[in-house]
Amino acid sequence: MEPTDGGARRAIFAPVDNLARVEAVVHRLGDAIELGLLADGEQLPGESELAGLLGVSTVTLREALMALRQQGLVTTRRGRGGGSFVSQPAVPAEERLKARLRGWSTEELRDLGDHWAALSGAAARLAADRTAPEDLRPLRRTVEELTRAGDAAARSRVYGRFHVELAAAAQSARLTREQVTLQTEIGALPCLVLSDDAYREEVAERQRAVISAVQDGAHDSAGALAERCVRESTARLIAVRLAL
Amino acid sequence: MSASPDLVDVAGTPVTPTRRTEAEERVAARVGGALEAVFDAVAATRAETAALLGRVLGEGRTPATADLAALRPGLHLRLARHELVSGLGFVAAPGLLGDVPAWLEWWQSCAGGGVRPLLPDLDPGRSAYSDYTHWDWFALPRDTGRRAVAGPYVDYLCSDEYSLTLSAPVEAGGRFAGVAAADVYLRHFEAAVLPLLRELPRPARLVNARGRVAASADPAHLAGSLTRGADVAAVLERGRAVAGAGVRMVPCGGVPLVLVVG
Repeated sequence: MEPTDGGARRAIFAPVDNLARVEAVVHRLGDAIELGLLADGEQLPGESELAGLLGVSTVTLREALMALRQQGLVTTRRGRGGGSFVSQPAVPAEERLKARLRGWSTEELRDLGDHWAALSGAAARLAADRTAPEDLRPLRRTVEELTRAGDAAARSRVYGRFHVELAAAAQSARLTREQVTLQTEIGALPCLVLSDDAYREEVAERQRAVISAVQDGAHDSAGALAERCVRESTARLIAVRLAL
Repeated sequence: MSASPDLVDVAGTPVTPTRRTEAEERVAARVGGALEAVFDAVAATRAETAALLGRVLGEGRTPATADLAALRPGLHLRLARHELVSGLGFVAAPGLLGDVPAWLEWWQSCAGGGVRPLLPDLDPGRSAYSDYTHWDWFALPRDTGRRAVAGPYVDYLCSDEYSLTLSAPVEAGGRFAGVAAADVYLRHFEAAVLPLLRELPRPARLVNARGRVAASADPAHLAGSLTRGADVAAVLERGRAVAGAGVRMVPCGGVPLVLVVG
């Protein structure tokens, strides 16, 4: 095998957590701004306070803010009354999300879907063996909320929660932590497919089928249904990506 | 239950059925005692919170988050003192406080010693996890008016740990004001009770009211799995040991856990 060249070597020996942390902060703040949760012109807390709130170092935070500035989501003013301010781009939210989606290759999305399907499929199988009827209440409540949620952003949040609750029903702290990390990475992207009411209904139906299989202790079909649920959404997202 | 005369204890001495049941009762009582110590921390938090809220209401004010800061010295002291407790605090009923819709005055012990506050995102417009009122540790004391043990469950709201949460309702002005609660991580609970379970000559495990295993010295029934078909709730209700179908179930004093042997 050929020795790896300089750039790749640097990546190999870069601190493991740092890049992932920067990206996590960019996604978190970026999503909040995309979804309009942080208002245009709103001042962000000071660097050290914000780093403390997010649980990252100020170095990580600065790198994340730099990336957000490049995306035009944050502006920084120096001097008295200075600081970092939210800058809502003039384009509509859906357009901005599509811009975010453009940052993913279809191969990355496919791989994300594989990872997600593996987590949710395994969780559904374990949950089928380990779930008492009372443990399914949070999942049922989430599906009902999904059918009632009006805007795409709320649908997207509740959609992610279904998968986190499924992992918790499996009684696995590891699968749950992995799922939370994965949902943080996906962020608001499911908005792009959940804004369609008919598809939202279809998703809710699929989720109900997963819950029923888990309740019946049918672990193979619970796993297969959960995987299909994820694959279907990922395929839709990839279709949107290919149309960009 | 059939007698098993071939059982021996750690010293190799045959164990008579009477000695065996005595040992089981003793272990169940000690498990109950370990959790009663955690409930002591919950009860102290509950009393302090109720007194504080009573004082504020007596002054004709609506309580606010700033008032709850007075609970911190007590919470920090009890976190340091109770080895099994990794998180402790008061969780307000929505609408109790004047300045925020919902609040957890919640503190956790850190790995390197010391304590830190939990600051979850409770804005419903931003977080899908802002409503905590459906979790067992909140809903059970609210709905029954009694103390409760929730879990084992994956606590993705506060600690990301597989946990037990012990809680009790807090009342102020004659109304439900929230819950006082303490988190016990399952790995710490196991470390505390496994030596007791292993004293018993037959395979032993602890299950909650729904039959979920909280700790086990039996490789066939691991923590998190369900013991199906056993009416654990009935054993807890009667408060006495029940034998049948090859197992014996012994309630752990006044806490809602049952020792299952056999």
